[in-house]
Amino acid sequence: MKGKKKTMPKNDVHEEEAPLPSEKVPSPPVSDSDSDSDYEDSSADDGESSASLDSLSESELEDDSSENGGSSGNVEAEGTESSLDEDIVNGEGSGSENSDLDQQVVESDSSEDEVAPRNTIGDVPLKWYEDEPHIGYDIKGKKIKKKEKQDKLDSFLANVDDSKSWRKIYDEYNDEVVELTKDEIKLVRRLLKNQAPHSDFDPYPDYVDWYKWEDAKHPLSNAPEPKRRFIPSKWEAKKVVQYVRAIRKGTITFDKPKEEDGPYLLWGDDSGSTEKSNHLAYIPAPKQKLPGHDESYNPPLEYIPTQEEINSYQLMFEEDRPKFIPKRFTSMRSIPAYENAMKESFERCLDLYLCPRVRKKRLNIDPESLKPKLPSRKELKPYPISCYIEYKGHEDAVTSISVEASGQWMASGSSDGTVRVWEVETGRCLRRWEVGEAVSCVSWNPLPDMHILAVSAGQDVLLLNTGLGDEELQNQIKELLWIDSSTASDDSGDKAPSVSWLKDDKHMGLRLRHFKTVTAVEWHRKGDYFSTVMPTDILFKVLIHQLSKKLTQKLPFKLRGLAVRSTFHPSRSIFFVCTKKSVRVYDLLKTKLIKKLDTGLREASSIAVHPGGDNLIVGSKEGKMCWFDMDLSSKPYKILKCHPKDINNVIFHRSYPLFASCSDDCTAYVFHGMVYSDLNQNPLIVPLEILRGHTSSNGRGESLAV
Amino acid sequence: MVKHYRPPGKKKEGNAAKFVIRSQALKQLQISLPLFRKLCILKGVTPREPKKKFKGTHQTYYHVKDIAFLHHEPLVEIHRAIRVHERKIKKAEAKKNHERANRLREKTPKPKIDRIIRQRYPRFVDALGELDDCLTMVHLFAALPASESKKIEVECVHKCRRLAHEWQAFISRTHKLRKTFVSVKGIYYQAEVEGQMITWLTPHSLQQVVSDDVDIVTMLNFLQLYEPLLSFVNFRLYHSINLKYPPILDPRLEALAADLYALSRYVSTKNGSSVVNSEAPQVESEQLETKQKELETGNETSELRLAQLQHQLPSNEPGALMHLVEEVTGEHEEDQDTKECKTLFKNVKFFLSREVPRESLLFVIPAFGGIVSWEGEGAPFGESDQSITHQIVDREAQGHRFLSRDYVQPQWVFDCVNARIILPTDNYLVGRIPPPHLSPFINYDEEGAYVPDYAKTIKHLQAAARKEVLPLPGVGNEDLEDPQNLVVEGIIGRAEANEAAERKKKMMILEQQYHNDLKKELKGVTYTTAGSKETSGAVQTGESATNVEENPDDDMGKLMMSRKKRKLLEAMQISNKRKQAQVDLIKHRKKKIDEAKSQRS
Repeated sequence: MKGKKKTMPKNDVHEEEAPLPSEKVPSPPVSDSDSDSDYEDSSADDGESSASLDSLSESELEDDSSENGGSSGNVEAEGTESSLDEDIVNGEGSGSENSDLDQQVVESDSSEDEVAPRNTIGDVPLKWYEDEPHIGYDIKGKKIKKKEKQDKLDSFLANVDDSKSWRKIYDEYNDEVVELTKDEIKLVRRLLKNQAPHSDFDPYPDYVDWYKWEDAKHPLSNAPEPKRRFIPSKWEAKKVVQYVRAIRKGTITFDKPKEEDGPYLLWGDDSGSTEKSNHLAYIPAPKQKLPGHDESYNPPLEYIPTQEEINSYQLMFEEDRPKFIPKRFTSMRSIPAYENAMKESFERCLDLYLCPRVRKKRLNIDPESLKPKLPSRKELKPYPISCYIEYKGHEDAVTSISVEASGQWMASGSSDGTVRVWEVETGRCLRRWEVGEAVSCVSWNPLPDMHILAVSAGQDVLLLNTGLGDEELQNQIKELLWIDSSTASDDSGDKAPSVSWLKDDKHMGLRLRHFKTVTAVEWHRKGDYFSTVMPTDILFKVLIHQLSKKLTQKLPFKLRGLAVRSTFHPSRSIFFVCTKKSVRVYDLLKTKLIKKLDTGLREASSIAVHPGGDNLIVGSKEGKMCWFDMDLSSKPYKILKCHPKDINNVIFHRSYPLFASCSDDCTAYVFHGMVYSDLNQNPLIVPLEILRGHTSSNGRGESLAV
Repeated sequence: MVKHYRPPGKKKEGNAAKFVIRSQALKQLQISLPLFRKLCILKGVTPREPKKKFKGTHQTYYHVKDIAFLHHEPLVEIHRAIRVHERKIKKAEAKKNHERANRLREKTPKPKIDRIIRQRYPRFVDALGELDDCLTMVHLFAALPASESKKIEVECVHKCRRLAHEWQAFISRTHKLRKTFVSVKGIYYQAEVEGQMITWLTPHSLQQVVSDDVDIVTMLNFLQLYEPLLSFVNFRLYHSINLKYPPILDPRLEALAADLYALSRYVSTKNGSSVVNSEAPQVESEQLETKQKELETGNETSELRLAQLQHQLPSNEPGALMHLVEEVTGEHEEDQDTKECKTLFKNVKFFLSREVPRESLLFVIPAFGGIVSWEGEGAPFGESDQSITHQIVDREAQGHRFLSRDYVQPQWVFDCVNARIILPTDNYLVGRIPPPHLSPFINYDEEGAYVPDYAKTIKHLQAAARKEVLPLPGVGNEDLEDPQNLVVEGIIGRAEANEAAERKKKMMILEQQYHNDLKKELKGVTYTTAGSKETSGAVQTGESATNVEENPDDDMGKLMMSRKKRKLLEAMQISNKRKQAQVDLIKHRKKKIDEAKSQRS
């Protein structure tokens, strides 16, 4: 056993060391160490004959140290040095003498370095062995123990004490501290400087021409210089010719030196450039608004808003807020850079290329000049201006009034079911009739001698004898209003079954009973005929009655739409029927439709004919009034929108060129409406006066008569 | 429900045939949206408003003809070529073939704008008429910081700066500046060139901030049009006063950032030596230039003398007579306005301190015939020059104060220019809060316009100056007949005398006005208190009566108007009312301020 053990490592050492000598420091120490180990072994033999390997090694260590100290300190030192050198060469340091395991095979440390590191775990992460007390197993299957971890503080203190600590490196893999030698440090430094590790290595050695020597008699090649080395190249010449031709042809072009083309006289003379391009009309961009005082850096004090005003801007909508708040700086030096300069410029750019440009006529005129030029109102006098007299007596809304032909008397019908006759001048109430139903319309006979009043109330039309005039006239009227009850019903039965003529004893007059509600009564100019309108009746919307014969007849025409009002022509036998949307004009003699006037109104409410007969006005429930010139067109000549509420009645003055409208809004408008006999001249309409001061009851206004 | 069914293949009619929306236009032109925008900007194509928006109100409509106009534009082809080039460059870069990339970069085709400018502005006057935005933009970019990230190149900024200065030099030299206004946003200038009023805004010479909410690409597109436009306009303008256009500047002054001064000197010297012969002036000017340079390198202090020399030079030359004749005719051509502007600062010599806005004042003062220098290198004369009449200062701290000159704030210059008279300097002296700076663009003739107090005083001063001028012409002529080499002090003396006289006059006028006011007030007092109240009552009733009569009349008139007109009238009345409210607000504030003042006193 022992013998084997002795020889084996020896052989190893020798075999392994063989290839190395060229790089290593001279070998003598190795032999020394060998001798040492021999010596050790012998000593061990002396001490203990039979012991386990471990104990043996320990004893060896002890012996070694003791004997080295005693006999051959120098030799030992040399040995350690040599081992260190070897370590460096191998690149794996394992030559610290302190480790006991190394000491176990001191004689073969160099070989051990070569073979393997102390640690036998292999190429696995050290982490795996972090918690283990060992790092791998040795050849005999025993755990290789880790060194005990040194306290940090101790190690630090040791480092501080140790002057050589800076050259000590901890080898984590082998779990040991390595101290670098001077040479090693030099080597490291050189490596750090990107130099060759060994200082004696020359990266740029002089070139040695091994093929030249002084006594060379023959050149390496004996060939003569070829001719081609002395004549110009044929292929090159060809290539040049090719290029030349290409350049001449223009297939090869050169990069010309860049020339900055600066400005030149773009607009030479403007005379020739006046012709327009065939492009669409160009609209130049509007110029930006010029700044006012408020944009000054030092505006007048009154331009600067107070703090309250600035605060109030916060309450405004974003769009209403002023874009620019004036500020004041006491000197030009203190003006800061305007933060929105870029933004405003950019917005202008956007406007310039994104906004559609449209030419808009900007009226830079006085708004007053827009108003039509009308003659002064003073020239158009007389016309009613203010309230002259008030007739009091009715308890409810007055729905209709009518003035007698002479102008002395006036009748009024109210929705309280009474009809009153007043003296115009004094305001004295002459008579009063209780009709019983709300009066919708009163109408005075146009003849000055016939003091008969037609009153429509509910389904009845009453013809009342007002009792005016002298006896002769009274008798006449009474005769006219007298009817034999039996015959009357028979007469009327044939022609117009919807109406019955009855004698009204209570009021000393006649009663025409209709089947539907009557809204309007209108006399013919001769005072014999009168018309009544029943909007709700389907068949007989408009009826014409003859007073002298007590006859009733329906219109011989078909009427479309809802009839609202009807009226007679002031001089000819023409009859106007106003429906909701249009006015129809009939010739009564020829019994045919002459004209249809298109009002364009939503719902007409009243109609009046000019005394001349060629013009008429129509009032509507939407507050509009249309003036028709029948010679001109079937469309309104003028539409006047003056009332905010329904127009109740419109009327012309009998002698003056005036007309008026009254409405639910408690106002009456008086207009001047001049009709010229010259056909080329259009009627002149001038608004004159608004008559206010009326009161409304039940939401209805009043009617009007002049 | 299909309202208007059109069989396939049938032509469109009406608005649908005349207009296309933007996406259709893009498809037709086969270009990208950014390029389309650019083309629209360059060609001046704007959307149009069809009567019926057949594709919805949120769409942008272009006229078919406009799109066809873009379609035929060579720029489209050029931009396609540019795109191809860019792709090649990218490829070369990716292959690290930098040489090829550079070569390609150099060979990238560049669009030319001159033809488009000619097309857009067939006459020079058209170009001048639309120069406002161009000038504002160029001046803005001249003040911007160049930045890589914002794609504002240094060259671009420099070019803008140069163009702006060239324009200013021309305006200044030909005395075409009419109005100036220092606002919070910048300084507005208004010039009259060939009958066109051109107004532009220059930002204050401080660092401008390029915010992120601004699309700089759009602005650069505009600049791509505006830069060449302004250079062509400048060329034409310089040509009109016989100058070679890209002006050769004194490199030393340029380096000192006194480009404007260098330019104006160039302009003035060249103009002085211009002769009918087209070649001669160049040679002469070159000679001058060399002389100038030699002199400059020699001595700095002799600059003033040099300037005088330059003025005298033309008279020594053979073509002097001709040139004189020409100048006389030129003078005749100048209108009254220009003459007035030319002589405003005739006898005034300015010196600018460091803290005042130099660029602006260097532009304004010579435009109104003043001589100006500044603190710093390259200035024609120093601070110690005795002939300086006004030193423009914006700070209290002063070293040495010269008694012979007024130390005024810069606002004085601008106010003088706007009022066209030399205002008294008392209010503008350093350390005092100057009177309000009023906008010259406000028309006080308008009905109901609010006139600030200072505007009234300026009006009085102007009237006074006009009256003073009337008896003076004889004196003025004498002065003119005097030999050129007037003693500088003499000039000062005269100027001072003028000023003193002016001040006296002003005082007199003010006094008179005061008396008048007093009288009026007295009268008013008697009228209101001592005078019979009955008469006033009667008058009032009369007024009310007339009012009563008038008011319904207005309403009556309205009745007869058509609805369209009535609505228009109402709109007008509303806008008038709003304006009036604005004026009333200002008056109200004024009243309050006055009350506060009176209380304090």
